[in-house]
Amino acid sequence: MTIQTPKAQSVEVSLPPSPSPFNGGAVAEGRPAIMLELHDALTRQGLSLVDLTWEQQRLHESRRWSVVEMLGAVDFTRLSDSDRHLVWNAGRAELTTKPGADRLERLADLECRRWLEKDPTVAAIMQACGTWSRYWNEEEAHHETAFNRLSTVMRLEPVSNATFIEFRKVFPDDDMLRTLTLLAISEVVAAVNYGQCAAIIQDPGLKALFKQVAADEIQHMTYFVAFAKALVDSGAYKAKEAFAVAHLFLRDGGEVHGSKRERVEARGTHVNWWDHLEHREGMYTPDALHKKEQLIFHALKRITGITVDSREAVEDTWMDLVGC
Amino acid sequence: MHDARELESYIRRKFAEHVGLSEAELFSEDLTLAALISRSPKMTNSVDLMEAFARTSNGLRKDYGLRVRLPALSLDTPVSKVLDVFLHEVLNPERKSA
Repeated sequence: MTIQTPKAQSVEVSLPPSPSPFNGGAVAEGRPAIMLELHDALTRQGLSLVDLTWEQQRLHESRRWSVVEMLGAVDFTRLSDSDRHLVWNAGRAELTTKPGADRLERLADLECRRWLEKDPTVAAIMQACGTWSRYWNEEEAHHETAFNRLSTVMRLEPVSNATFIEFRKVFPDDDMLRTLTLLAISEVVAAVNYGQCAAIIQDPGLKALFKQVAADEIQHMTYFVAFAKALVDSGAYKAKEAFAVAHLFLRDGGEVHGSKRERVEARGTHVNWWDHLEHREGMYTPDALHKKEQLIFHALKRITGITVDSREAVEDTWMDLVGC
Repeated sequence: MHDARELESYIRRKFAEHVGLSEAELFSEDLTLAALISRSPKMTNSVDLMEAFARTSNGLRKDYGLRVRLPALSLDTPVSKVLDVFLHEVLNPERKSA
Protein backbone atom coordinates (compact mmCIF):
# COMPACT_ATOMS: atom_id res chain seq x y z
CA MET A 1 0.00 0.00 0.00
CA THR A 2 1.32 3.46 -0.87
CA ILE A 3 0.42 6.54 1.16
CA GLN A 4 1.15 10.08 -0.01
CA THR A 5 2.47 12.21 2.87
CA PRO A 6 1.87 15.99 3.04
CA LYS A 7 5.34 16.49 1.57
CA ALA A 8 4.45 14.22 -1.30
CA GLN A 9 6.85 11.52 -0.18
CA SER A 10 5.73 8.00 -0.85
CA VAL A 11 5.78 5.72 2.15
CA GLU A 12 5.40 1.98 1.75
CA VAL A 13 3.13 0.54 4.42
CA SER A 14 2.65 -3.14 4.86
CA LEU A 15 -0.73 -3.91 6.33
CA PRO A 16 -0.87 -7.16 8.27
CA PRO A 17 -3.62 -9.54 7.20
CA SER A 18 -6.53 -9.19 9.60
CA PRO A 19 -7.93 -12.24 11.35
CA SER A 20 -10.85 -13.56 9.38
CA PRO A 21 -13.98 -14.82 11.13
CA PHE A 22 -14.55 -17.17 8.21
CA ASN A 23 -11.47 -19.33 8.67
CA GLY A 24 -10.60 -19.16 12.32
CA GLY A 25 -8.17 -16.28 11.88
CA ALA A 26 -5.97 -17.86 9.21
CA VAL A 27 -4.49 -15.52 6.62
CA ALA A 28 -5.93 -17.27 3.59
CA GLU A 29 -9.57 -16.58 2.92
CA GLY A 30 -11.91 -18.95 1.15
CA ARG A 31 -13.79 -18.35 -2.03
CA PRO A 32 -16.07 -15.31 -1.64
CA ALA A 33 -19.70 -16.27 -1.14
CA ILE A 34 -23.08 -14.90 -0.16
CA MET A 35 -23.80 -15.21 3.55
CA LEU A 36 -26.85 -17.47 3.34
CA GLU A 37 -27.35 -17.76 7.12
CA LEU A 38 -27.15 -14.06 7.85
CA HIS A 39 -29.11 -14.04 11.10
CA ASP A 40 -26.92 -16.82 12.49
CA ALA A 41 -23.79 -14.99 11.29
CA LEU A 42 -24.81 -11.85 13.18
CA THR A 43 -25.92 -13.61 16.36
CA ARG A 44 -24.24 -16.95 17.06
CA GLN A 45 -21.09 -16.30 15.00
CA GLY A 46 -20.86 -12.68 16.14
CA LEU A 47 -19.88 -11.19 12.78
CA SER A 48 -19.90 -7.43 12.48
CA LEU A 49 -21.18 -5.22 9.67
CA VAL A 50 -17.55 -4.60 8.72
CA ASP A 51 -17.04 -8.37 8.32
CA LEU A 52 -20.18 -8.72 6.22
CA THR A 53 -19.27 -5.75 4.05
CA TRP A 54 -15.84 -7.26 3.38
CA GLU A 55 -17.49 -10.44 2.14
CA GLN A 56 -19.82 -8.42 -0.09
CA GLN A 57 -16.83 -6.51 -1.48
CA ARG A 58 -14.82 -9.69 -2.14
CA LEU A 59 -17.71 -11.32 -3.98
CA HIS A 60 -18.42 -8.19 -5.99
CA GLU A 61 -14.79 -7.85 -7.06
CA SER A 62 -14.59 -11.52 -8.01
CA ARG A 63 -17.58 -11.12 -10.32
CA ARG A 64 -16.72 -7.85 -12.07
CA TRP A 65 -16.74 -7.81 -15.84
CA SER A 66 -16.34 -5.20 -18.57
CA VAL A 67 -19.28 -4.06 -20.67
CA VAL A 68 -16.89 -2.58 -23.23
CA GLU A 69 -15.03 -5.87 -23.62
CA MET A 70 -18.23 -7.92 -23.82
CA LEU A 71 -19.76 -5.67 -26.47
CA GLY A 72 -16.53 -5.91 -28.45
CA ALA A 73 -17.14 -9.65 -28.81
CA VAL A 74 -20.61 -9.31 -30.39
CA ASP A 75 -20.73 -9.90 -34.15
CA PHE A 76 -23.58 -7.67 -35.36
CA THR A 77 -23.72 -9.35 -38.75
CA ARG A 78 -24.79 -12.61 -37.11
CA LEU A 79 -27.75 -11.21 -35.19
CA SER A 80 -31.30 -11.96 -36.32
CA ASP A 81 -34.23 -9.55 -36.03
CA SER A 82 -35.41 -11.63 -33.10
CA ASP A 83 -32.01 -11.26 -31.35
CA ARG A 84 -32.17 -7.50 -31.85
CA HIS A 85 -35.65 -7.36 -30.38
CA LEU A 86 -34.49 -9.29 -27.30
CA VAL A 87 -31.68 -6.76 -26.81
CA TRP A 88 -34.08 -3.83 -27.21
CA ASN A 89 -36.55 -5.23 -24.67
CA ALA A 90 -33.76 -6.00 -22.19
CA GLY A 91 -32.34 -2.48 -22.43
CA ARG A 92 -35.69 -0.88 -21.64
CA ALA A 93 -36.43 -3.31 -18.82
CA GLU A 94 -33.07 -2.71 -17.17
CA LEU A 95 -33.82 1.01 -16.89
CA THR A 96 -36.10 0.22 -13.94
CA THR A 97 -33.40 -1.36 -11.76
CA LYS A 98 -31.71 1.87 -10.72
CA PRO A 99 -34.84 3.27 -9.03
CA GLY A 100 -35.29 -0.17 -7.44
CA ALA A 101 -31.80 -0.10 -5.95
CA ASP A 102 -32.03 3.57 -4.94
CA ARG A 103 -35.26 2.86 -3.14
CA LEU A 104 -33.86 -0.24 -1.42
CA GLU A 105 -30.92 1.73 -0.09
CA ARG A 106 -33.21 4.42 1.34
CA LEU A 107 -35.82 2.01 2.73
CA ALA A 108 -33.18 -0.24 4.31
CA ASP A 109 -31.59 2.69 6.12
CA LEU A 110 -34.99 3.95 7.34
CA GLU A 111 -35.87 0.48 8.60
CA CYS A 112 -32.44 0.11 10.20
CA ARG A 113 -33.00 3.22 12.30
CA ARG A 114 -36.56 2.18 13.14
CA TRP A 115 -35.30 -1.16 14.52
CA LEU A 116 -32.10 0.07 16.15
CA GLU A 117 -33.31 0.18 19.75
CA LYS A 118 -35.97 -2.50 19.50
CA ASP A 119 -33.84 -5.19 17.84
CA PRO A 120 -30.22 -4.37 16.90
CA THR A 121 -29.87 -7.63 14.94
CA VAL A 122 -32.75 -6.68 12.63
CA ALA A 123 -31.21 -3.21 12.33
CA ALA A 124 -27.90 -4.83 11.29
CA ILE A 125 -29.66 -7.02 8.68
CA MET A 126 -31.27 -3.90 7.23
CA GLN A 127 -27.95 -2.07 7.16
CA ALA A 128 -26.18 -5.03 5.51
CA CYS A 129 -28.93 -5.03 2.87
CA GLY A 130 -28.69 -1.29 2.29
CA THR A 131 -24.91 -1.54 2.05
CA TRP A 132 -25.12 -4.34 -0.52
CA SER A 133 -27.54 -2.26 -2.63
CA ARG A 134 -24.53 -0.26 -3.90
CA TYR A 135 -23.12 -3.41 -5.54
CA TRP A 136 -26.53 -4.36 -6.91
CA ASN A 137 -26.92 -0.87 -8.39
CA GLU A 138 -23.46 -0.98 -9.98
CA GLU A 139 -23.98 -4.45 -11.45
CA GLU A 140 -27.37 -3.50 -12.86
CA ALA A 141 -25.75 -0.45 -14.46
CA HIS A 142 -23.67 -2.93 -16.49
CA HIS A 143 -26.83 -4.64 -17.75
CA GLU A 144 -28.66 -1.43 -18.59
CA THR A 145 -25.78 0.18 -20.45
CA ALA A 146 -24.75 -3.01 -22.26
CA PHE A 147 -28.16 -3.65 -23.79
CA ASN A 148 -28.97 0.01 -24.51
CA ARG A 149 -25.57 0.61 -26.09
CA LEU A 150 -26.13 -2.41 -28.35
CA SER A 151 -29.54 -1.03 -29.30
CA THR A 152 -28.00 2.33 -30.15
CA VAL A 153 -25.18 0.86 -32.23
CA MET A 154 -27.66 -1.32 -34.14
CA ARG A 155 -29.92 1.70 -34.70
CA LEU A 156 -32.94 0.07 -33.07
CA GLU A 157 -35.89 2.19 -32.00
CA PRO A 158 -34.35 4.78 -29.65
CA VAL A 159 -35.39 5.02 -26.01
CA SER A 160 -36.71 8.56 -25.71
CA ASN A 161 -35.82 10.74 -22.75
CA ALA A 162 -39.50 10.65 -21.78
CA THR A 163 -39.43 6.84 -21.60
CA PHE A 164 -36.10 6.89 -19.76
CA ILE A 165 -37.52 9.28 -17.15
CA GLU A 166 -40.78 7.33 -16.91
CA PHE A 167 -38.90 4.07 -16.30
CA ARG A 168 -36.81 5.74 -13.57
CA LYS A 169 -39.85 6.37 -11.35
CA VAL A 170 -39.10 5.20 -7.83
CA PHE A 171 -41.33 2.44 -6.49
CA PRO A 172 -43.60 3.19 -3.50
CA ASP A 173 -42.40 1.81 -0.17
CA ASP A 174 -43.77 -1.36 1.37
CA ASP A 175 -43.06 -3.84 4.15
CA MET A 176 -39.39 -4.89 3.88
CA LEU A 177 -40.02 -8.65 3.67
CA ARG A 178 -42.53 -8.11 0.87
CA THR A 179 -40.05 -5.82 -0.88
CA LEU A 180 -37.21 -8.35 -0.68
CA THR A 181 -39.44 -11.22 -1.82
CA LEU A 182 -40.70 -9.18 -4.76
CA LEU A 183 -37.15 -8.30 -5.75
CA ALA A 184 -36.09 -11.97 -5.45
CA ILE A 185 -38.97 -13.04 -7.71
CA SER A 186 -38.24 -10.22 -10.17
CA GLU A 187 -34.67 -11.53 -10.40
CA VAL A 188 -35.96 -15.09 -10.92
CA VAL A 189 -38.14 -13.96 -13.83
CA ALA A 190 -35.31 -11.90 -15.34
CA ALA A 191 -32.72 -14.67 -14.93
CA VAL A 192 -34.94 -17.30 -16.55
CA ASN A 193 -35.81 -14.95 -19.42
CA TYR A 194 -32.14 -14.11 -20.07
CA GLY A 195 -31.18 -17.78 -19.81
CA GLN A 196 -33.82 -18.61 -22.43
CA CYS A 197 -32.48 -15.83 -24.66
CA ALA A 198 -28.92 -17.12 -24.30
CA ALA A 199 -30.07 -20.61 -25.30
CA ILE A 200 -31.62 -19.44 -28.56
CA ILE A 201 -29.10 -16.79 -29.67
CA GLN A 202 -26.49 -18.09 -32.13
CA ASP A 203 -23.80 -15.39 -31.97
CA PRO A 204 -21.27 -16.42 -29.28
CA GLY A 205 -20.66 -12.82 -28.16
CA LEU A 206 -24.32 -11.96 -27.57
CA LYS A 207 -24.98 -15.40 -26.11
CA ALA A 208 -22.16 -14.82 -23.59
CA LEU A 209 -23.60 -11.42 -22.65
CA PHE A 210 -27.07 -12.83 -21.92
CA LYS A 211 -25.51 -15.72 -19.95
CA GLN A 212 -23.42 -13.30 -17.90
CA VAL A 213 -26.42 -11.11 -17.10
CA ALA A 214 -28.53 -14.17 -16.20
CA ALA A 215 -25.78 -15.32 -13.83
CA ASP A 216 -25.69 -11.87 -12.21
CA GLU A 217 -29.47 -11.94 -11.71
CA ILE A 218 -29.25 -15.34 -10.01
CA GLN A 219 -26.61 -13.94 -7.69
CA HIS A 220 -28.88 -10.97 -6.88
CA MET A 221 -31.80 -13.32 -6.25
CA THR A 222 -29.65 -15.29 -3.82
CA TYR A 223 -28.79 -12.11 -1.91
CA PHE A 224 -32.45 -11.05 -1.69
CA VAL A 225 -33.42 -14.50 -0.46
CA ALA A 226 -30.64 -14.37 2.17
CA PHE A 227 -31.78 -10.98 3.50
CA ALA A 228 -35.44 -12.06 3.48
CA LYS A 229 -34.59 -15.31 5.30
CA ALA A 230 -32.65 -13.36 7.92
CA LEU A 231 -35.71 -11.19 8.61
CA VAL A 232 -37.93 -14.27 9.01
CA ASP A 233 -35.27 -15.99 11.17
CA SER A 234 -35.23 -12.91 13.42
CA GLY A 235 -38.89 -13.47 14.28
CA ALA A 236 -39.67 -9.84 13.50
CA TYR A 237 -41.22 -10.61 10.08
CA LYS A 238 -43.92 -13.15 9.24
CA ALA A 239 -43.73 -15.75 6.49
CA LYS A 240 -47.17 -14.71 5.24
CA GLU A 241 -45.71 -11.58 3.63
CA ALA A 242 -43.35 -13.65 1.47
CA PHE A 243 -46.21 -15.96 0.46
CA ALA A 244 -48.47 -12.97 -0.32
CA VAL A 245 -45.99 -11.67 -2.89
CA ALA A 246 -45.48 -15.14 -4.38
CA HIS A 247 -49.25 -15.48 -4.74
CA LEU A 248 -49.43 -12.04 -6.36
CA PHE A 249 -47.08 -13.37 -9.06
CA LEU A 250 -48.41 -16.91 -9.40
CA ARG A 251 -52.21 -16.49 -9.19
CA ASP A 252 -54.39 -16.57 -12.31
CA GLY A 253 -53.56 -13.41 -14.23
CA GLY A 254 -50.63 -12.82 -11.87
CA GLU A 255 -47.49 -10.73 -12.33
CA VAL A 256 -45.41 -13.65 -13.62
CA HIS A 257 -47.35 -13.44 -16.90
CA GLY A 258 -46.24 -9.82 -17.33
CA SER A 259 -47.33 -8.09 -20.51
CA LYS A 260 -48.79 -11.33 -21.90
CA ARG A 261 -51.80 -10.82 -19.65
CA GLU A 262 -55.07 -9.78 -21.25
CA ARG A 263 -55.06 -6.75 -19.06
CA VAL A 264 -52.09 -5.02 -17.45
CA GLU A 265 -52.75 -2.70 -14.52
CA ALA A 266 -52.16 0.95 -15.40
CA ARG A 267 -49.83 2.37 -12.73
CA GLY A 268 -48.98 6.03 -12.44
CA THR A 269 -46.58 5.51 -9.57
CA HIS A 270 -43.87 3.30 -11.08
CA VAL A 271 -42.98 0.92 -13.91
CA ASN A 272 -42.87 -2.85 -13.43
CA TRP A 273 -40.49 -3.97 -16.19
CA TRP A 274 -42.35 -7.25 -16.77
CA ASP A 275 -45.47 -5.27 -17.74
CA HIS A 276 -43.61 -3.42 -20.49
CA LEU A 277 -41.92 -6.15 -22.52
CA GLU A 278 -43.15 -5.83 -26.10
CA HIS A 279 -44.05 -9.03 -27.93
CA ARG A 280 -43.93 -8.84 -31.71
CA GLU A 281 -45.28 -11.20 -34.33
CA GLY A 282 -42.69 -13.76 -35.42
CA MET A 283 -40.14 -12.76 -32.76
CA TYR A 284 -38.96 -15.15 -30.05
CA THR A 285 -40.37 -14.46 -26.57
CA PRO A 286 -38.90 -16.12 -23.48
CA ASP A 287 -41.42 -17.80 -21.19
CA ALA A 288 -40.46 -21.01 -19.27
CA LEU A 289 -43.23 -20.57 -16.73
CA HIS A 290 -42.61 -23.95 -15.11
CA LYS A 291 -38.96 -23.09 -14.44
CA LYS A 292 -39.93 -19.74 -12.92
CA GLU A 293 -42.50 -21.43 -10.67
CA GLN A 294 -39.97 -24.00 -9.47
CA LEU A 295 -37.44 -21.30 -8.61
CA ILE A 296 -40.11 -19.29 -6.76
CA PHE A 297 -41.12 -22.37 -4.74
CA HIS A 298 -37.45 -22.92 -3.92
CA ALA A 299 -37.03 -19.28 -2.85
CA LEU A 300 -40.08 -19.55 -0.58
CA LYS A 301 -38.65 -22.69 1.01
CA ARG A 302 -35.35 -20.94 1.71
CA ILE A 303 -36.95 -17.78 3.05
CA THR A 304 -39.64 -19.36 5.24
CA GLY A 305 -38.71 -23.04 5.61
CA ILE A 306 -42.15 -23.97 4.21
CA THR A 307 -42.26 -26.40 1.28
CA VAL A 308 -44.74 -25.84 -1.57
CA ASP A 309 -44.87 -27.52 -4.97
CA SER A 310 -47.74 -25.87 -6.84
CA ARG A 311 -49.42 -22.51 -7.36
CA GLU A 312 -52.46 -23.83 -5.47
CA ALA A 313 -50.26 -24.81 -2.53
CA VAL A 314 -48.82 -21.28 -2.45
CA GLU A 315 -52.33 -19.83 -2.28
CA ASP A 316 -53.56 -22.33 0.32
CA THR A 317 -50.49 -21.81 2.52
CA TRP A 318 -50.78 -18.04 2.27
CA MET A 319 -54.48 -18.15 3.21
CA ASP A 320 -53.73 -20.38 6.20
CA LEU A 321 -51.00 -17.96 7.31
CA VAL A 322 -53.32 -14.94 6.90
CA GLY A 323 -56.10 -16.37 9.08
CA CYS A 324 -59.49 -14.70 9.59
CA MET B 1 -78.01 -24.05 1.17
CA HIS B 2 -77.21 -20.77 2.86
CA ASP B 3 -79.40 -17.70 2.61
CA ALA B 4 -77.99 -15.32 -0.03
CA ARG B 5 -79.00 -12.17 1.86
CA GLU B 6 -77.35 -13.42 5.03
CA LEU B 7 -74.15 -14.22 3.13
CA GLU B 8 -74.15 -10.83 1.43
CA SER B 9 -74.55 -9.11 4.76
CA TYR B 10 -71.70 -11.19 6.21
CA ILE B 11 -69.35 -10.44 3.29
CA ARG B 12 -70.13 -6.70 3.45
CA ARG B 13 -69.47 -6.59 7.18
CA LYS B 14 -66.30 -8.64 7.16
CA PHE B 15 -64.78 -6.97 4.11
CA ALA B 16 -65.44 -3.49 5.54
CA GLU B 17 -63.86 -4.61 8.81
CA HIS B 18 -60.71 -5.90 7.08
CA VAL B 19 -60.44 -2.79 4.92
CA GLY B 20 -60.87 -0.51 7.93
CA LEU B 21 -63.74 1.57 6.48
CA SER B 22 -67.43 1.69 7.38
CA GLU B 23 -69.88 -0.32 5.30
CA ALA B 24 -71.64 2.93 4.41
CA GLU B 25 -68.48 4.57 3.09
CA LEU B 26 -67.43 1.47 1.23
CA PHE B 27 -70.67 0.55 -0.49
CA SER B 28 -72.82 3.69 -0.72
CA GLU B 29 -70.11 5.46 -2.73
CA ASP B 30 -69.30 2.25 -4.62
CA LEU B 31 -65.56 2.97 -4.37
CA THR B 32 -63.15 1.46 -6.87
CA LEU B 33 -60.45 -0.79 -5.44
CA ALA B 34 -57.85 1.90 -6.15
CA ALA B 35 -59.90 4.48 -4.20
CA LEU B 36 -60.44 1.95 -1.43
CA ILE B 37 -56.68 1.39 -1.01
CA SER B 38 -56.13 5.11 -0.98
CA ARG B 39 -58.75 5.76 1.71
CA SER B 40 -58.13 2.73 3.89
CA PRO B 41 -56.08 3.39 7.02
CA LYS B 42 -54.89 -0.24 6.89
CA MET B 43 -53.74 -0.52 3.28
CA THR B 44 -50.70 0.47 1.27
CA ASN B 45 -51.11 -1.49 -1.97
CA SER B 46 -52.81 -4.38 -3.76
CA VAL B 47 -51.11 -6.98 -1.55
CA ASP B 48 -53.06 -5.53 1.40
CA LEU B 49 -56.20 -5.74 -0.72
CA MET B 50 -55.52 -9.40 -1.50
CA GLU B 51 -55.16 -9.98 2.21
CA ALA B 52 -58.55 -8.36 2.93
CA PHE B 53 -60.11 -10.72 0.36
CA ALA B 54 -58.31 -13.67 1.93
CA ARG B 55 -59.50 -12.83 5.44
CA THR B 56 -63.07 -12.48 4.22
CA SER B 57 -62.81 -15.84 2.41
CA ASN B 58 -61.31 -17.49 5.47
CA GLY B 59 -64.21 -16.15 7.54
CA LEU B 60 -66.71 -17.70 5.12
CA ARG B 61 -64.88 -20.99 5.42
CA LYS B 62 -64.81 -20.89 9.22
CA ASP B 63 -68.35 -19.64 9.82
CA TYR B 64 -70.21 -21.25 6.88
CA GLY B 65 -67.92 -24.03 5.64
CA LEU B 66 -67.70 -22.36 2.23
CA ARG B 67 -64.45 -22.49 0.25
CA VAL B 68 -64.06 -19.43 -1.92
CA ARG B 69 -61.15 -18.95 -4.31
CA LEU B 70 -59.84 -15.43 -4.36
CA PRO B 71 -60.80 -13.19 -7.24
CA ALA B 72 -58.06 -11.30 -9.13
CA LEU B 73 -59.64 -7.99 -10.06
CA SER B 74 -58.23 -4.84 -11.61
CA LEU B 75 -57.92 -1.73 -9.46
CA ASP B 76 -60.66 0.13 -11.35
CA THR B 77 -63.22 -2.48 -10.29
CA PRO B 78 -66.02 -0.99 -8.13
CA VAL B 79 -66.71 -2.61 -4.76
CA SER B 80 -70.23 -3.59 -5.90
CA LYS B 81 -68.60 -5.81 -8.53
CA VAL B 82 -66.33 -7.34 -5.87
CA LEU B 83 -69.40 -8.18 -3.85
CA ASP B 84 -71.04 -9.76 -6.92
CA VAL B 85 -67.96 -11.89 -7.57
CA PHE B 86 -67.81 -13.04 -3.96
CA LEU B 87 -71.51 -13.93 -3.95
CA HIS B 88 -71.22 -15.71 -7.27
CA GLU B 89 -68.35 -17.78 -5.93
CA VAL B 90 -70.21 -18.58 -2.74
CA LEU B 91 -73.37 -19.62 -4.57
CA ASN B 92 -71.46 -21.52 -7.29
CA PRO B 93 -68.70 -23.20 -5.31
CA GLU B 94 -67.53 -25.41 -8.19
CA ARG B 95 -66.49 -22.46 -10.31
CA LYS B 96 -63.25 -20.53 -9.96
CA SER B 97 -62.88 -16.81 -10.39
CA ALA B 98 -61.22 -15.59 -13.57
